[in-house]
Amino acid sequence: MLAGARESGTEVVLLSGGTDLVPALRSGERRADAVVALRRVQELRVRGAGADSLTVGAGVTYTDLVGWSLSPGLARTARVVGSVQIRNTGTVGGALGSARPAGDLLTFLTAADAEVLTASPSGPARLPLARFLAGGPAPGAVVTAVRLARPGGPQTYLKIGGRQAAFPAVVSCAVLVDRLRRSLTCAIGGVGRLPARMEEAESAAAGDIDWATGTASPAAARRFADLVTAAAARIAPALPVGPRESAEYRWHAAGVLAGRAFTRCLLPAATPDEPT
Amino acid sequence: MSGGVGASARRPDGPAKVAGTFPYAGDLRVPGMLHGRTLRCPHPRARIRRVDTATARQLPGVAAVVTAADVPGVATYGLIIADQPVFAATEARYAGEPVAAVAAVDARTARRALAAIEVDYEPLPPHTDPALALAPDTPRLHPAGNLYREIDVRHGDPDRDGPVVIEDHYVVGMQDQAFLAPEAALITPAADGGVDLRVATQWLHSDREQLAACLALPEDLVRLTLAGVGGAFGGREDITLQIHGALLARAAGAPVRIAYDRVESFLGHPHRHPARMWFRHTATRAGDLVSVQARLVLDGGAYASSSPAVLANAVTHAAGPYRVPHARLHGVVVRTNNPPCGAMRGFGVPQVTIGHEAQLDRLADAVGLDPVELRVRNAICPGDILPTGQVMGGPLPARELIQLVAARPLPPSPTAGPAGPTGLTLPGGLPAAADPSRVRRGVGYALAYKNLLFSEGMDDSSVARVRLDLAADGTPRASIHSACAEVGQGFVAIAEQIARTELGVDQVVLRPADTAIGSAGSTSASRQTWMSGGAVRGACVAVADRLLARVARTAGLPARVVEAPGASLRITAGRIVGAEAGLRLTLADALAAGPVEAEFTFHHRRTTALDAAGQGDPHVAFAAAAHRAVVDVDLDLGLVRVVSMALAQDCGTVLNPLALRGQVEGGTAQGLGLAVMEELVTDGGRVTNPTFHDYLLPTAADVPDLDFVAVTEPQPEAPYGVKGVGEAPTCTATPAIVAAIRAAVGRDLRRVPVRPQDLVDLENPVDLPGAPGGDPPA
Repeated sequence: MLAGARESGTEVVLLSGGTDLVPALRSGERRADAVVALRRVQELRVRGAGADSLTVGAGVTYTDLVGWSLSPGLARTARVVGSVQIRNTGTVGGALGSARPAGDLLTFLTAADAEVLTASPSGPARLPLARFLAGGPAPGAVVTAVRLARPGGPQTYLKIGGRQAAFPAVVSCAVLVDRLRRSLTCAIGGVGRLPARMEEAESAAAGDIDWATGTASPAAARRFADLVTAAAARIAPALPVGPRESAEYRWHAAGVLAGRAFTRCLLPAATPDEPT
Repeated sequence: MSGGVGASARRPDGPAKVAGTFPYAGDLRVPGMLHGRTLRCPHPRARIRRVDTATARQLPGVAAVVTAADVPGVATYGLIIADQPVFAATEARYAGEPVAAVAAVDARTARRALAAIEVDYEPLPPHTDPALALAPDTPRLHPAGNLYREIDVRHGDPDRDGPVVIEDHYVVGMQDQAFLAPEAALITPAADGGVDLRVATQWLHSDREQLAACLALPEDLVRLTLAGVGGAFGGREDITLQIHGALLARAAGAPVRIAYDRVESFLGHPHRHPARMWFRHTATRAGDLVSVQARLVLDGGAYASSSPAVLANAVTHAAGPYRVPHARLHGVVVRTNNPPCGAMRGFGVPQVTIGHEAQLDRLADAVGLDPVELRVRNAICPGDILPTGQVMGGPLPARELIQLVAARPLPPSPTAGPAGPTGLTLPGGLPAAADPSRVRRGVGYALAYKNLLFSEGMDDSSVARVRLDLAADGTPRASIHSACAEVGQGFVAIAEQIARTELGVDQVVLRPADTAIGSAGSTSASRQTWMSGGAVRGACVAVADRLLARVARTAGLPARVVEAPGASLRITAGRIVGAEAGLRLTLADALAAGPVEAEFTFHHRRTTALDAAGQGDPHVAFAAAAHRAVVDVDLDLGLVRVVSMALAQDCGTVLNPLALRGQVEGGTAQGLGLAVMEELVTDGGRVTNPTFHDYLLPTAADVPDLDFVAVTEPQPEAPYGVKGVGEAPTCTATPAIVAAIRAAVGRDLRRVPVRPQDLVDLENPVDLPGAPGGDPPA
């Protein structure tokens, strides 16, 4: 149907939770001749676990993920998305489809090296998240799911914004530690147009972590934070400066959040009693 | 009889509002109605060479397209000065200015029609810096020039100095009223050639006057009825969509629903004036104020709105509620190509309060006094002379308020309690994961006063009509008619309470507010409980008098009783009693002879305009408030959480404790918003964040429970001794929070809203939990 619509020039948009699409349609930022609601497509609402991977259907809501014990990082991310109402209706597929810079999930999935699964008349396809975000789905394709590795260690997601709760991220940070692969991955959102990986800080961290115990020193955390601040300042293209935060502040905040996330994952003693 | 004056009577519209069935203006629909939409200029300043609506008019489903050429009457409107075009004709002066409007069979067709209107703009360089508005090389942005008003108040010897001097500049950003129900109206052309509007507004009669002038209709053919209002805060005092909708309805000959979405609401109504302020306070070494100088520049944006009156408030309140022997208070409000600014809760006073309270804290530091002590020492008292020469009348317990609020118990320390701080209660909330060892607490105070009712000689009277009759079931019933706009403040409850108390009835009906009765004045300036409450009370007293006179006459009582029945007869709890006259009958029996009706117009005392030296008797009365704020600041990220707010307020007689609490909590929350998050940001004149995604309002997670103490000295000339209560706490909440942040981070703050980037040292490396070297500021 989508392919047919494309040929006829009809603008068909897919509605998942609608938390981004409905305001965009209302404001005229996006237009549509037809809206196809996906909510009742049960196949999209499935989440599951394989031997080494987790698959989350595009129709899975944030609320569905909040208590998911198989992925504490996703659960943590989902828990701090928007308000209760947004979490109840917003979906994984919607976050990918609208790819807002403030999207919490994108930062986490970027750090998680996630893959995006799509379906189109030419069959299913999978592509790395970064490529998907750079190019969007193939014409006529629908995002069906996102796939990521099963956690191999602590993971967390932190963000800041303009108030105590129910806010879009100004700067966000995801850190995932994988003790089996002896790797740490980190993504920063809110500085560039899309979340960016902090490769230099990641490799420095891999060397600093005591993999036998899965811990690191405060000095390593500080070095990690400094590397992230420096890398954030190099992200291009940078987002236009927001109403309330200068670029310098965003870089600074990226480092602070990265240091906190690192500490939370690797210096358990210094972490306040709060579940990830 | 219950639910009279002094009771926490419930709002009659409360259950419907809570249940979601209350019809707001945007919910109104009639069969066959058209949908109106507005075309807005995208440029902050542009010459309009041509507007071509031919294509739009020919689109199927388009019923009307109107532009400046279709305005039959006066081409401009405005609350004080009619300088704002109904539609921009030859020049647009702000980004978002209406250029045309369309009515179509549905909203989608209306949007298409807007896109089909061709406007040939020649963008001109916008002038958006208020400091340069009056510079010689800045062009006149409007035929009326770039100065809306200048006020220069000279008091005592303005050159006199004390030995301790505090001098600095402060900036306040643009807050928006951000009421939750966007602008909406349903407008119907009438068979008699007139037009009927159901609209969410703050002042039906001011709307009518401006509508009639622009539509070239006599006022009696322009009839307005208040539709459900979802918040206002000053933002509905100006005309927005009323004239556009009326033009469309008349052109199409059909009812038109016109309603804004969120973005259009942010662009469509005037905002709070951004301010640039310079203050110079001097004092004795003991901490007695000697002089205050202030220079204020308010950015009025492209059109006047209520700018002249806002400036008068800002300047006359610039020294705060303090005894100041010498003062020079100067202010201008200027035209720029920024969005127009006008009325918002506090009306010029929040801005100057931010300035004078920051100055007082710094003065306290300089003379080595506690901030509370300094305020106690200088607080104004009744009988003192204000900088305008006005004598402070009435009760104004400023000193008592600051002492009261300082004596309230402080919240437990951040690390107290068995669980310690939780993620939710740390600055930035759960997602920021602040390190408790890097969170600093601060406590701050602010004291302010705010004028009540309209100033500078305005006679903003209010009319009410009351009828007492028997309901179908034979019980006595009072009906009240007033044009007072209920915008959420609670007049609907207060009016009923007054009728119950004055007429001894249980059953009270409030008719819809409309223009079939005389003006109640604006729902603003903390005035409706006093003014329209006074009108309702006056009408009730007149009704009671008439009824008692009739009863006395019927009972054959002496002429002196008939002439002044209130002296010997009274209505109480559904009965008429007169011990002296030996009379005792039920109200229902008395009303069997027919209904009684009376109308009453309430006026406040006359004030005077300011003279050339800023001297006069400009304000009717004042109310004061004092806040204490406690905040926690994440030193690494500059995120702030307001931990507790205590408020002591000068409330006059309390008519409804529950409604009072609603007002002071709301005022506190709105002041909190201005302190730490609410700012409409413009870039070259364009609003960059006109959505609730980017313009954040405080939520329940941001606003702590309010510890509130009311001081209830009656205001002598007000009905029952009331004072308006909605504005004063808005003025003090912001500076108290800013003061608390200053105390926490140990740096002076010169810009409001305070931003995270203002609180962190971006030069120094990041501090981490458990890491050495993260010393807090002293």
